Amino acid sequence: MATQYHTVGKPSIRKDAIPKATGQEKFTCDVVIPGMLYGRILRSKYPHARIKRIDTSKAEAMGAICITFEDVPKAKYNERIVSVPSATFKDRTVLTNKPLHVGEAIAAVAAETEEKAEKALRLIEVEYEPLEPVFDPIAAMKPGKPSLHDSIILQDKVVEIKNNIAAKVEISEGDVEKGFREADIVIEGTARTSRVYHTQLETKSAVVVPEPNGGVTIWTTTQTIHNCRILIGEIFGIPLNKVNVKKISLGGSFGSSIQMNSVLPITVALALKAKRPVKMCTTREEDMYDHCRYPMILKYKLGAKKDGRLVAGEMEVIVDIGAHNIQAYPLLGCTAGWLVSLYKMPNLKFVGKAVYTNKAPACAMQGFGNPQVNFIAQTMMNEVAEKLGLDPIEVELKNYVGLGDVFWGQGPTVRSVIRSCGVEELIKKGAEMIGWKNRGRPQDKKGDIVRGIGMARGFHTSSAGGPMAGEAVDFSGAMIKINEDGTVDVIAPLQDMGGGALEAGLKIVAETLGVPLDCVELAPTDTCNSVYDVCLHATRGVYAGGGTLKKVAEQVRQKLLEFASRILGVYPHALKIRPDENLKQGVIYAEGISGKEITVKEVAATARNKNWGTIAAVDSLRQGQCPPAYTVYFVEVEVNKRTGEVKPVRAVIGADCGTVIDPIYAVAQIHGSFYRGLSYVLCEDTKYKRRTGELTNKGFLSGYNILKAEDMPNPDDIQVFFANTYEETGPFGAKGIGEAAINPVPAVVANAIYNAIGVWIREMPITPEKVLKALKEKGGN
Amino acid sequence: MEERKIRVKINGRDCELSVKPNELLLNVLRNKLGLCGTKYGCGTGDCGACTVLVNNEPKLSCLTLAVTVDGAEITTIEGLATDGKLHPIQDAFVKNGAIQCGFCIPGIIIMAKALLDENPHPTDEEIKEALKGHLCRCTGYINIIKAIKAASMAMSKA
Repeated sequence: MATQYHTVGKPSIRKDAIPKATGQEKFTCDVVIPGMLYGRILRSKYPHARIKRIDTSKAEAMGAICITFEDVPKAKYNERIVSVPSATFKDRTVLTNKPLHVGEAIAAVAAETEEKAEKALRLIEVEYEPLEPVFDPIAAMKPGKPSLHDSIILQDKVVEIKNNIAAKVEISEGDVEKGFREADIVIEGTARTSRVYHTQLETKSAVVVPEPNGGVTIWTTTQTIHNCRILIGEIFGIPLNKVNVKKISLGGSFGSSIQMNSVLPITVALALKAKRPVKMCTTREEDMYDHCRYPMILKYKLGAKKDGRLVAGEMEVIVDIGAHNIQAYPLLGCTAGWLVSLYKMPNLKFVGKAVYTNKAPACAMQGFGNPQVNFIAQTMMNEVAEKLGLDPIEVELKNYVGLGDVFWGQGPTVRSVIRSCGVEELIKKGAEMIGWKNRGRPQDKKGDIVRGIGMARGFHTSSAGGPMAGEAVDFSGAMIKINEDGTVDVIAPLQDMGGGALEAGLKIVAETLGVPLDCVELAPTDTCNSVYDVCLHATRGVYAGGGTLKKVAEQVRQKLLEFASRILGVYPHALKIRPDENLKQGVIYAEGISGKEITVKEVAATARNKNWGTIAAVDSLRQGQCPPAYTVYFVEVEVNKRTGEVKPVRAVIGADCGTVIDPIYAVAQIHGSFYRGLSYVLCEDTKYKRRTGELTNKGFLSGYNILKAEDMPNPDDIQVFFANTYEETGPFGAKGIGEAAINPVPAVVANAIYNAIGVWIREMPITPEKVLKALKEKGGN
Repeated sequence: MEERKIRVKINGRDCELSVKPNELLLNVLRNKLGLCGTKYGCGTGDCGACTVLVNNEPKLSCLTLAVTVDGAEITTIEGLATDGKLHPIQDAFVKNGAIQCGFCIPGIIIMAKALLDENPHPTDEEIKEALKGHLCRCTGYINIIKAIKAASMAMSKA
């Protein structure tokens, strides 16, 4: 499909690659402002406490600017405003006088140097009244347990919180009891998934400059400059036209900056009080107490007919959200949606509860509930197939949600009909490539070191778009203009976490305008010079962000052709544009008529000289659909039955992302997701000391288990291929890819382990100890 | 604390600096010399983002006191490209899709240079071994390994 395009589908070198390879790319931590102060944050030593007294006088005496709970606005907010107000639960303030986890910010200082700020921090006297903490979500729901939040704010109304339950979602379709009665086989299982730390390389940071007009200029680690602007405006009562958040590169995020990071409002408060610029870069330890993935306990019961057709499913999910409800309500809805969209299940019951505990707050992380659900649903589906003596592939093909079915892209309120689906192609081709038929049975594998091959499939939504407004805000905006020399400025507030969404966007603009990619650049963008864009999340960068750029570029193209038409005397709709790599220009021409040619530069220059105006457009786009991107994984692992070690050795990964905008970076996204998924299922977790509520690794990376290069299969042993699909609603047929690529990884590893040693392990991370325990329970080798 | 004078050659240029005895090389590079390509990732030597060459040896600048590099030659990521031309390792990273968010990349490219200077044709296993102390969260290391191999080829041809 892509051969008809000059830029889309071809490999290109992303614009930020050279600055990043030479150390020139600027991140928030690299921003330097003359006269700036350095900020540091005082954090709670206790997992649950009341601040009885806090005295900053000694720190102030040495010249430091200090703020405590008394100095910050008291109205509660939620740092993530991707959801509409009726689904946004507000439970926090900029600093607190009742810390709910170790590491929660209780005061902050700013001083001329970091050293001085650190010294000032140590001079602050705090008297705590320690309160009983609760770390286990099931215990937290029991009566008589300490309450973290007595109430929260929902749409300006006070809502009482009971038994630490922050949110609850129940969804029911059909009649599950009847479904289970009709089933030939019913199995039940429980999975536990880990509290993964995002481990993005750049720690959360902010630089804030107070402006003479009472406003602020901001650089910060964020996936959404516009939402940061709205929040800072609301919290501090600053008109939005005086809050300017500048877009800057992000050193990874994986979801951890979907919300305004806690460091930003603290830095704003300091800068406003100091009346000087303040820079605050958090340490790795601070960062590790700031965010993590939502860990879940998932109880699942499913019923199937003898031929493998699913008839009923019942799932109960408990999510340990930590100290704040950043997005637990949408998470529960999405989690139900991922199950509904994985298998056609006529009878379904889902109950999800999100529970507060005295731990670091959990937030979005790549997949947003999807890898968790996928882990239990795909491993139990495999188990059903094994028990029925059927090939798991056959069972998947019988039950998957595909073409023409309804897909839940972002919980029950964001649904659309599937128009492109490569699942069958991916499964069949992948099975062939890995040698699925020769994988053998666990009982026939002899020796201490055995191999197994697993299969799992998954998907993720492309954007939270849909035919109706759901509970998630989802639209993008951009401005594109043609300069007087024929080059193009793209002013897009969309962020890039590193995956290349913006590079894809530039290629879409070049393709639409018919100019060489070299002519198109991302202009420095901030919230004052750009129109609203919700956020980079939900695998929406290419589909929704790129879709918006295509829409705006089409309007620019129209204007360009109208101007060219005036010059050439040819009707605009008869004109075409082709990129000319020698001229480094787009050339507008009338097909078959010689002499009727003009470069984009000549048109733009003429428009200026004749006072016709700038060839530019600005617009927004809400996608009317949320098409799923699909992935299918086949992974071979080697299990050492003596040590319990599991080593992934080979993978075949198929992806359906519609048209591939850039083959190099689409594959690169899949590599990265595969890696993060492996690390998730095999080793990552943040654990807390029961007595003190501290992280067992104290926030040091040295104590955090994570896969390294040496743990990955060799490059030649990882094969990636794409389905031949075209998504009619996406830009040039494209959907997303990012999150789809991680979702089946935990399940595929568990399925491969089963194929190697014949045991199901559903407690993450699947450490050697758990493998040995499972083998022991199974009895002998 | 009293500052001490040190002399170093940074990216080929002689410099005299006043540093405190407890000042880290990472902070001197970033804050005093504006060489911000060298990154803070953890401060405990676990991620490798701060790696620089000290007398051609890879060193974690977040664990190195500036006073200890007195008289040394230091190469940071900013010193690899010459006359506006990318070093073959940088070129290979750019062309092989090895760069996503890019935050870990300066440290990894510096380590790759140390590796290829010592072992011009490393195997996959040798590259993985060299990357032991580096954390990259975006790429799964796959294209990084490919890029280092491509650079090895390009450098042996040159």
